[in-house]
Amino acid sequence: MGGVEDDEPPTKRVKASSGELRSLLNYSLLSEPLTGSLGDSMARPLPSQGDEEMVGTKGVIKRVEFVRIITKALYTLGYEKSGALLEQESGIPLHSSVVNLLRQQVLSGNWDESVATLHKIGLSDETVVKSASFLILEQKFFEFLEKDKIMDALMTLRTEIAPLCINTSRVHDLSACIVSPSRRLLLGLSSQDIVSANSRSKLLEKLQKLLPPTVMVPERRLEHLVEQALSVQREACVFHNSLDSALSLYSDHQCGKDQIPSRTLQVNEDGGVSLKHTLTGHQKPVLTVSWSPDDRQLLTCGIEEAIRRWDVSSGECLHIYEKAGVGLISCGWLPDGKRVFSGMTDKSICMWDLDGKELECWKGQRTLKISDMALTNDGKRIITMCRENAILLLDREAKGDRLIEEDQTVTSFSLSRDNKFLLVNLLNQEIHLWSIDGDIKLVSKYKGHKRTRFVIRSCFGGFDQAFIASGSEDSQVYVWHRGTGELLEALPGHSGAVNCVSWNPADPHMLASASDDRTIRIWGLNRVNLKRKDTYSNGIIHHCNGGI
Amino acid sequence: MGRLFVINLEGKIYSRKHCQTHLALYDDIISKSFHCRHGKAYLFRKVVNVSVGEKEDRMMITGMHTVADIFCVGCGSIVGWTYEAAHEKSQKYKEGKFVLERFKVSGPDGSNYWPSREAHISGSDADDA
Repeated sequence: MGGVEDDEPPTKRVKASSGELRSLLNYSLLSEPLTGSLGDSMARPLPSQGDEEMVGTKGVIKRVEFVRIITKALYTLGYEKSGALLEQESGIPLHSSVVNLLRQQVLSGNWDESVATLHKIGLSDETVVKSASFLILEQKFFEFLEKDKIMDALMTLRTEIAPLCINTSRVHDLSACIVSPSRRLLLGLSSQDIVSANSRSKLLEKLQKLLPPTVMVPERRLEHLVEQALSVQREACVFHNSLDSALSLYSDHQCGKDQIPSRTLQVNEDGGVSLKHTLTGHQKPVLTVSWSPDDRQLLTCGIEEAIRRWDVSSGECLHIYEKAGVGLISCGWLPDGKRVFSGMTDKSICMWDLDGKELECWKGQRTLKISDMALTNDGKRIITMCRENAILLLDREAKGDRLIEEDQTVTSFSLSRDNKFLLVNLLNQEIHLWSIDGDIKLVSKYKGHKRTRFVIRSCFGGFDQAFIASGSEDSQVYVWHRGTGELLEALPGHSGAVNCVSWNPADPHMLASASDDRTIRIWGLNRVNLKRKDTYSNGIIHHCNGGI
Repeated sequence: MGRLFVINLEGKIYSRKHCQTHLALYDDIISKSFHCRHGKAYLFRKVVNVSVGEKEDRMMITGMHTVADIFCVGCGSIVGWTYEAAHEKSQKYKEGKFVLERFKVSGPDGSNYWPSREAHISGSDADDA
């Protein structure tokens, strides 16, 4: 806590001469000296807003509470004079005189008086009074120990702390401290901690947390309320797609639709952005393409055929992975980049090292011919469709497989970057969002796009992965707000079914889509001057459907 | 073209004659006594890999029904129809079921069916008493 505690209690100021008060007022721009109530020793509120108990248009804010948290904020910000002035002008002291006395006594180490004052505050809860007394007396105890007044410390422990009959384990710890000084270190207290003025301030902080907020206003309460409001605004902002530094207190935050990509920036035909290599070798259509974790290699899978590993810079095929008698149908990398895995036509999943040595094999009904496969970032779970309407979360460490069961056939799925959510595409044209971290449960549904014949892919995207994007058989790219499920955009442009989409993980304002019209489109913001990062790397398209 | 989503069946499979897309299982046949323009047709409780067309009311042999044509996702050709609603109580058992024209599919043993020239049944449908 960086804030400065009020070291000059306002009660002192109230007793100050009017001369001092007037010198304060010289800071203001008023040329005329203010007369009337401000000259009195007891401040009275100015008649500007009247004496209404409630402030604000909705009548839910109590004036006293409002002023006190503002006063507290002023002191925390370091504006001592303003804080004191506010207490005077409003006539609402931050702390009652009893509490001020308590604070004074604690800071100056008048322990017995402070415990007595504690009882005078009028707290209804006995345990709070006892706990607070305990804290004060504990400080007294430690300060005695520091000054080597062992007998005094012992007296305090026996006659004052123990009779409180609370927190007995702590009492035992304290008595151990008398016997062996090293115990003090175990309790996390160094001699510096005890002696310095800081420890008494820390005690005040602890007391503040213990006592009810009406007695002592909690630290940073105003800041907390403002942050809460900003958080609500940000969550309500459906198009929000930028860093939080954009939030201002002057007006409610509301992004416009211009924050999500909606305009085609580039249409790439016949081969890609700029053709680097053509990788030939597969005999069958290429089903999936997967970048290695270091972006230097590619893994491609021919339908029911073999997997090939390629070097991206040279275009050379480095290795072919096959298994006798079965065809391979999906592929992926392990996060260490040293192992690859694949689904087979016999429903098993196999793992190889880079040289082709088979390391592991999961037999049984683990995957389907049409299944996607994904691996969590820690390499611990393999996600695959094991049945028409069920997705298996296979635990590689055999800690327990889990299942997502849908009542419709699953066509494809996509894992979120934080591996906590799975986006599942279904036969009936719905996209379901499942939470897979902890309990498995359905979180949201997204509808609107069209799917009848093909595998259409969807993905997470945007700042904080706040959006869901999907291809569609009606040639449009669909974008929904992830939280509310509201359809935000249906972007026309392609002239054939849009098979898959990929939102740039580095640039939340860029989206790529691939279509049956044999083009790839790059989408960006609908603004003339936009900054576009040239990150045409792995992020863009992880899967390509069909190379026919 | 994009990657077709096809469900693979296991068992005794009826598949689309030309593109080999799996359509239904022998075990899901409810009745073999249906008819269509091209001769024999079977009523199935479940079919896969088909897309459903527009609903329309059609007068069938057994009465008025609301039906929709079904198309193979592989080749897009029409393979039969499905019953959305039956207007007569006795025909309600057909609702939600599918009819595949035998001529359009290859049987589980690979066998095919050729409609005989005399089979000029006027209209489609049949009753299963």
